Amino acid sequence: MNPFAVLGLEETADDEAVRAAYLAAIRTSPPDRDPEGFRRIRDAYEALRDTERRLALRLFGPPPLADFAELLDAVPEERRYVGPGPWLNVLREHRG
Amino acid sequence: MSKHHKRAGKLAQDLAGPGSREWQTRVESLLTARKTREAVEVAKQFLKQSPGPEAEALAVAAYQARIQALLASGMHKEAQALGALVSERFPAYRAQVAPLIRQSEVSAGNFQTLLTELSTADPPRQRELEAILTRGLTDPALLADSPALPADHPLKRTARAVCELFTAVTTGPLPPGALAPLDEIPRHSPLAPWKLLIRALDAFYRRADPTVLANLASIPADSGPGRLVPILRRLVGETEPTEDRSFAVTIVLDKVSGSRALLQSHLKQLSQALAARDERKALAAVQDLLPLFQSTPAAFRQSFIVTVLHHWHRQGLPPHGLLRVLPRGKKDPDTLRLIALTLEHTQWDAALEWWDGYLTAALAAGTLPATGPEIARVLLHMAALFPADPEDVLDLLDVESEKELRRLIRTGRLPAFFDREALLERARAADPDPQVFRALVAHYDQREPKRAEAEAEAWRRAHPQDLEPLLYLIRAAERRGAIRKALDRLADAEALNRVHPEVRQSRFRLLLAGAERRLKEGKPALAVADLDLLEQEPRAGEGDHKAYLLALRWAAAHKAGEATTAAQLEQTLATTMDNPVLCNLILGTVAGSLGLKPPPPSGPPAQPQAIDGLARACDLFRALDRPLTIPAALLAQVEKELGNTSVAQLHSLCAGGLRIGRPALTYAASGQGLAHDGPLVSRFLLARGQALQAATTERERNRARQCLRAARELAGRSRDLEVMREASAALDTLPDWQALDALLFGNVLTPETPPTQADITRTIATERQQRHVPRFLVEKAPRKARKAKSPRRRLPWNLFNDLFALLEGKL
Repeated sequence: MNPFAVLGLEETADDEAVRAAYLAAIRTSPPDRDPEGFRRIRDAYEALRDTERRLALRLFGPPPLADFAELLDAVPEERRYVGPGPWLNVLREHRG
Repeated sequence: MSKHHKRAGKLAQDLAGPGSREWQTRVESLLTARKTREAVEVAKQFLKQSPGPEAEALAVAAYQARIQALLASGMHKEAQALGALVSERFPAYRAQVAPLIRQSEVSAGNFQTLLTELSTADPPRQRELEAILTRGLTDPALLADSPALPADHPLKRTARAVCELFTAVTTGPLPPGALAPLDEIPRHSPLAPWKLLIRALDAFYRRADPTVLANLASIPADSGPGRLVPILRRLVGETEPTEDRSFAVTIVLDKVSGSRALLQSHLKQLSQALAARDERKALAAVQDLLPLFQSTPAAFRQSFIVTVLHHWHRQGLPPHGLLRVLPRGKKDPDTLRLIALTLEHTQWDAALEWWDGYLTAALAAGTLPATGPEIARVLLHMAALFPADPEDVLDLLDVESEKELRRLIRTGRLPAFFDREALLERARAADPDPQVFRALVAHYDQREPKRAEAEAEAWRRAHPQDLEPLLYLIRAAERRGAIRKALDRLADAEALNRVHPEVRQSRFRLLLAGAERRLKEGKPALAVADLDLLEQEPRAGEGDHKAYLLALRWAAAHKAGEATTAAQLEQTLATTMDNPVLCNLILGTVAGSLGLKPPPPSGPPAQPQAIDGLARACDLFRALDRPLTIPAALLAQVEKELGNTSVAQLHSLCAGGLRIGRPALTYAASGQGLAHDGPLVSRFLLARGQALQAATTERERNRARQCLRAARELAGRSRDLEVMREASAALDTLPDWQALDALLFGNVLTPETPPTQADITRTIATERQQRHVPRFLVEKAPRKARKAKSPRRRLPWNLFNDLFALLEGKL
C-alpha cells in the first residue's frame, strides 16, 4: 500500500511531518493491540523516513497492488455516530 | 372484466351445483396454495349461492387469509381497509378479525387504536396486542408520545427511556452505566428487542463485536428492530455486502462506515470483472469508484490508478476505454508516469516513450524542476530500462551498430530517448551525483574505456571523499598495465580508507604485478623492494602465497646474477613447501614467465606427492590469477590414479583442470569425487558437466546436461548460489536439441521440469560407473551470435496517441 496513504500524508511532507504522522499512527495501532496495523505503519515510515526514499517513492511509486482489496487496508474502518434518523429510516422504509 | 374476475367466474361455474363440502374443499385448497384472491372469490360465490353461517364462516376465513397476505406484502393500508370492510359486513366475526385490523394499523404506523385497547384489555388480550406491537413497532417514540396511553403507563415510561437511549447510543459515546435503565425491561415486553438493539449498538461503537453479535442473535427476526440486524452484521464484517440494498440501507451503511462498505463492494466488482476480462463491467466499476476516491488523499488515488493500470495491462484489455474514464489527459504528468511504470516491466521501449512524455509534461507544468536530483533520477531510471546487452537494443530497433543508432537518432529517424548516453549526460548536467557518475562509468566501461576513466576522474573531482572512483581508476590503470599509476591511485585510496577490503586486496595484487613487471624489465633490485613490501601484507601469509614470493626472489637473484642466493632460496622453498612437485611447478612456471631456465626436474614423484603438489599449485595460481604451467607427464600421472586423494584435493584438481584447459583432469577428479557422498557432490557434478561440455560426442554432451541439471538442483536445495549460477551458465551454452527438434520437425516443446531425487541418484550412479574416458576437444567459445528476432508484443503507442488526440480534439 502507498506509504503516503498509510500515514495520511501529502507527497510534499517533510521529515518532521513524517515523524509526527508516524508517532500519531502508532498510538492508534500499538504493536500489542494491532500487530498487523503496526507492521503496515512501520513499513510506511521506513519507506518515507528520509528525503531520498520519499523522492524515489514520489517518482517511481507507488507499486501496483496485487489485489484491489489491499486498497481498503489504508481506509480506516470507521464507525461514525449518525444519530437515530438513518437507522429509523430503514424501519420506516420497510413499513412503507 | 378483469382477468381474476374471469378466473373466479370460471371456478364458480366449475363448482355450480356441488354441495357445501365441495365449496369448502375448493376454498381450502386455494388457501393452501396461497391463492388468497381466488379463494375469496370462490368463497363469495358460495355465499351468494348458499347464504348461511357455513358460507359466512368460509368467506371470513378466506378474507383473513387475504388480509394476512396483504400485510406480508407490505400493503398495510389495503389490509386495514379490507379488515374494516369484513368487520362491517360480518359483525358476528368482528372479534376474530380485530387482531388483523390492529396489526394492519400498527404496520401502517397507526398505533392509537391498539394502544387504547391495550390499556384496558384483559391479560390474554393484552399479550396478543403486545405480540402485534412487538412485530410492528418501528419507532419507540410512537409509544412514548402516544396520547392513547396514560402518562404513567409502564410501557409509555419505558418507551421514553428507550427513545432517549436509542438517540444517545447513535449520537455519541455513552458514559459507563448509561444503559442501566434497560435492565428493567422484561423479556416479553414489546420493547425487549429494542433493549437488545441498543445494547448491540453500544457494543458496536465500543468495537466489542462479539457482544454485538450475541445481542443481535437474541433479537427476533420478525420484530421491528429485527430489520436492522442484517445491517449491523454487515457493519461488523460478519456478512458480505449484498447487491439488492434499499436506499435507506445504503445510506445508513455509507454514513456509518464512511463509504468503506461501498468502496469494498465496487472494488470486488472491479476485481471480478478484470478476472473475467469483462471490459464493460470493469469500466463501470472504475467509473463507480472514481468519485469515491475524489475525497481520499492523492497517494491513495495514485495507488488505485496504478493498480487498475497494472491489472488492465496484465489482462491484455484495450486501454482506450480505461483512459477515457480516467479523469486526466495526456498532458497530466502523473498519468503518464503511472502508465510508464506499468509498461516498463514488459515493454522497456514503450515505457521509455511514456517516461519521455512525462518529462516533457512535468517540466511544462513546473512539477519537475529542470535541474536537481528529481529529473536526474528520472533520467537515470530511463537509462536503467535499457537491456543490459547492447545487442538486444540493436535487435529491437533493427539497427546494425551503436554508430548507426546514433546516426538515426541524430537525423530524427529514431526518438532521442533511445540515446542512452544522452540520457546519462543530461542526468549529470542536472545533478552530478555519485549515482549518475556510477552509471556513466559503467556505461562507458565496455564501450570507451578512456571515456570511462575520464568520467571516473570527473566523479573524483566532484566528490573527493568517494572511494569508488579511485577503486575504478586503480582497476583501469592495472588493466592497461600502468601499475605505477595504479599504485599512485592506491595511495590516494589508502588515504581515504586503508581498511576497505578492496583497497587491501588491491595493494597485494598491484605490488605483485609491480614486482613481476620489474623482473621482466630486468630491475631485480626494485623487484626485491616490492617483494619486501609484499611480505608485510596480510595476504602474503595466506595458503602457499609465501612460496610464490620466494620464487620471485629466486628469479630476482638469478636476474641479479647471484647464483648462491638463488640456490639458497631454492633450498628454502623446498624445505618450506615440503613437496618437490609443488616447488618444481612454482619455480618452473615463474622461470617460464620471466625467461629463466627452470631448475632440473627431480625424479618421478610418488603419487601422493604428485597429487598434493598439483592440487596446491592449482589453488595457488588460481588465487593469484596467474597462469600455471604443468608438465604433461605430471598431468598424465595424476589423471591415471586418484584413488587415495582427499575430497579437498579432488576439488582443487577439478577447478585447476578447468582453469588450465585440461578437461581430462577435471573429468578424472570429478569422477573420483562423485565416489564420495558429501556436501561437495553438487560441485563434483558441476565439474563433471563442465568437463563433458568439451567432449566430442553428442552422447557425452547429453551426460553433461544431466550432470549440470542435477548439480543445479542439488545446489538450489543447499542454497549454493555459486554452483547454481555456474551450472545455469553452462547449461545455457549447451545446444538445446529439444528446441531444435521442435523447430525442425514440429515436435511439441515441453517445459523442462527440475530433476527428481531419483533422477539425480541415477545420474550420479551412471557417472560413477563410467570407465571410458571421453575424447575432449578444447576450443574457444564462439562469439555470441546476434539473436534471431522473436515476435514481440508491440507497444500500444499508436492506440494511446490516437486516443489522446481524439480526446483532446473533443475537449
